[in-house]
Amino acid sequence: MSGERTPTGRKRPRKRGRFLPYILLSPLVLFIGALALYPTILTTVQAFFTVNPMDPPTRFSGLANFRALFHNSFVRQSAANTALYIVVGVGLSTLFGLGIALVLQRRSRWRGVVLALVVLPWALPAVVESVIWGWIYDPTFGVLNSVLKSLGLINSDHVWIGIGRIVSIVLIELVQVWQITPLAALLILAALQSIPQELYEAARVDGAGRWEMFRRVTLPLVRPGLAVAMVESLILSLNVFDQVYVLNGFAPGGASIMMQTYQISFNNLNFGQGYALSLLATFATMLLSLLILAVVYRRVEF
Amino acid sequence: MPVLLAVVLLAALVVLAAACGSSTSTSSSPSAAATTSSGVLPSPTAGSSITVVYHYPAPPKSVLDQFTAQTGVKVNWVEVGWDNLQTKIATAATSNTYFADLTDVDWSKVGQYYKTKWFMPLNPYFDAAALKADMPQIYTFASNGQQLALPFDSSFTVTTLNTKIAKAAGVTGTPANLTDYTNALKQIKAKGAVPNQLDITFAAAEGLSTYWYQLTAAYGGQVLDASYAPVFTSPSSAGYKALQWMVDAYKSGLVPKANIGMADYQGFTSEMAPGRVASVFSDYSGSVGSIYDVPSSSKVVGQVQYIPTPGVSGPAPNLSNPDGVGIPKTAKNVAGALAFIKWFTDTQQQAIWAGLNGSSDVISGFPLPARVSSLQLLAKGNKVSGASELMTLLGSSRAEFPGPGAPPWYSQFSNAVYTNIHQAAVGAETVQQAVTNIATEVNQLKASQ
Repeated sequence: MSGERTPTGRKRPRKRGRFLPYILLSPLVLFIGALALYPTILTTVQAFFTVNPMDPPTRFSGLANFRALFHNSFVRQSAANTALYIVVGVGLSTLFGLGIALVLQRRSRWRGVVLALVVLPWALPAVVESVIWGWIYDPTFGVLNSVLKSLGLINSDHVWIGIGRIVSIVLIELVQVWQITPLAALLILAALQSIPQELYEAARVDGAGRWEMFRRVTLPLVRPGLAVAMVESLILSLNVFDQVYVLNGFAPGGASIMMQTYQISFNNLNFGQGYALSLLATFATMLLSLLILAVVYRRVEF
Repeated sequence: MPVLLAVVLLAALVVLAAACGSSTSTSSSPSAAATTSSGVLPSPTAGSSITVVYHYPAPPKSVLDQFTAQTGVKVNWVEVGWDNLQTKIATAATSNTYFADLTDVDWSKVGQYYKTKWFMPLNPYFDAAALKADMPQIYTFASNGQQLALPFDSSFTVTTLNTKIAKAAGVTGTPANLTDYTNALKQIKAKGAVPNQLDITFAAAEGLSTYWYQLTAAYGGQVLDASYAPVFTSPSSAGYKALQWMVDAYKSGLVPKANIGMADYQGFTSEMAPGRVASVFSDYSGSVGSIYDVPSSSKVVGQVQYIPTPGVSGPAPNLSNPDGVGIPKTAKNVAGALAFIKWFTDTQQQAIWAGLNGSSDVISGFPLPARVSSLQLLAKGNKVSGASELMTLLGSSRAEFPGPGAPPWYSQFSNAVYTNIHQAAVGAETVQQAVTNIATEVNQLKASQ
C-alpha cells in the first residue's frame, strides 16, 4: 500500500488517485457531450436559421420558423393530439403502475413470476407491440370486435382507428400505456418498499383501516416515486411516434408532435422548422416535468 | 488540475463534434468520371467494391457473383425500407456523408433531387434518347434535361378485376369506360357477391395520392398543369370529379370501411387476394403474378385479370410510378456504380429479376422489367401472368406529371393531397374544402420557390 501519511497518521491518497474519478467519468462525459449536448446546442442555434436544402443558403431568420409553426394548422392539431396522448398516457400508466406495484408489494411465492410477466411489455420493441395491437384492433379479423360481438355489445365490425379522433388517440395511447406501465410500476414499487413497516404498525395501533393506511401513509410517502414515474411517462407520451405511425400512419386525426417534426424535417426537408419544433417539444417536456414535480413530488425522509 | 482536465475534455468534445459534422467521403471524385464521352463508361477498378442501398431484397448471391466475375467489383447490397431509405438519403446528402454508391431514386423525388443536386447526372454515360424506345419510362427520371437515374423497374398503375366475381354478378365483358365500371361495381354490390366491391386505400400515405392522380387521368385530366398550377378546384375539373368519386365510393360502401387506415399494398393482400373485393382501380403492375396468382397467399388464383383502365370514353392512360437507380453525389466508387447500373438494367438481367430463369434468380417483389425487350423475353417464355396485356399497358403508360416531371416540392404536395383526401373520407372535410386546402398548399409552395 502506498501513499503519504498525514500529520494525523491517516493515509493521503496518492496524487494520481485524485484524478481517477475524472478519468473514469471522461468517456461518459464525452459520450453525453457528443450525443446530447452538441445536438442540443446545434438544434437551439439552428432553430433560428432557415435550414432547407430546397431553399439555400442557410441563413439567420430570427423567429420566422416559430411563427410558421404557430400558423401551421397541422402543427396545432398535432399539439392538441399530443396533449391528449399525455393525459391518457400519464394518467393511466400511473394508475395502473400504482395498482400493479401495490399487488407486487405483497409477499407471495408467485411474485417473481408476476414481476417477470409484468415487465415483458416493457422489454418488447414499440413497433412489435403496435403490430400486435394492430391485429387486436383490426376491423375485420381483430379480437376486439370478435369479443364485443360475442358479448352482444356490437352488431357488426367496427373500425376503431382512423375514424374518430378521440377514440383513435385513446386506443393508440393504450398501446403505449401497456408498454410504459411496467416501468412506472417498478419505480413506484421501489418507493413503496422504502416505506418503513413501523409506520403501518403505528397506524394499525391507532385504528386505521386499509384505506386509511393507503391514504394517510402510503400515498404521501410514495410521492417521490409517483413523481418520477409520471415524469417518465410524460416524456414517453410526449415523444410517442412508433405506435401512431404503425396504427394510424400520417393521418392528421392522430398525428403526434413528433410525427409532425419528422414530416417537416424529412418529408418537407425544412430542417430549420424541424429544429424549432423539436426545441418547443423539449421546452414543453421541461415545463410539464417541473409542473409535475412541483405538484406531486415531496421530499420524504424516514 | 480539474480545470485543466475540463479543458482537455472540452477540446476532445470539440474534436469529436467536428468529426461528426465532417464529410467522410474521401475517394474517387465524380468529376473524374464525368470527363468521359457520352455513352462510354469508365472502367471500374478490379478488386473494388460498391454499396447498393435499396428497398428491395438483394438479388441472389450467385447472380451478383456473376457481376463480380465480369467486372471485378464486389457488391454489398443493403436492404432498407422505402420510408427509411428516403430519410437516409436526405440526412446523408445534407450532412455530405457517404452512405451508398447506388441507391433509390423514386419518380416523385426527381424534381427535388434536381434542385438539391444530391444525385449525379447520368447524361454523359447513358443516351436516354436512344434508350427511350426500350425503356418507356426513362424520362420519368429526368428533370430539366438532367438524367438523374435509370429505371430500376417499370411500375405503373393498372386496373384489375376479379372476373369470377364479376360474372357471378352478371357483369359480362370488360367495362369500357368509367360509367360502365361504376355501374358494374354497383351491380356486384346489388347482387351481394362480395361485402364490398372496390379497393381504395384511404390511409394517409402516398398510395392515396397516387390513386387520385390515376383517377384524375381517367377523368381526362391531370392535377397540376405544366406550370404546376392546381387545376382541380372547379367542380367540373377532372381532379374534383375524381376526388368526389373516391369519397362517394367510400361513403356508399363500395369500399370497405376498414380501408380508412389501410396502405395500398395491404389492401391488395388483405382485400383483393382473399376475394373480399372485386376490383382495384389503381393496382400495381405485376400484382396478378406476384400476389393474386400465388396460391400460398391468394384465394383468387386465376380469377384476376388486368383490364384497360376505364376512362371517360374509353381506355385511360396508366400512370408511371417506377423506381430508379441513381448515384449519390457522395458516392465513392462511381465507375463501379455505373458498371452496375448498366448490368442491372440490361435486357437479360431485367428479365431474370422477373423470373426468366425461374424463381431461384428473381428479386422478391420485383414488379416488372424496365425494358420492353425484357417483357418480350418473358412473354415469349410465358413466364409472367398477363405479360402481353402488361406490354400493351406499358406502352400506354404516362408520367404522373407529364412535361416538367414531379415538382421539386412534390413531397409537401403529396402530403397535402393524402392528408386532405383522408380527411374528406372520414367526414372531417367536404370535398370542396379538401380541394381548396390542397390548392392553397400548392400556391404557397409555388410562391415559396
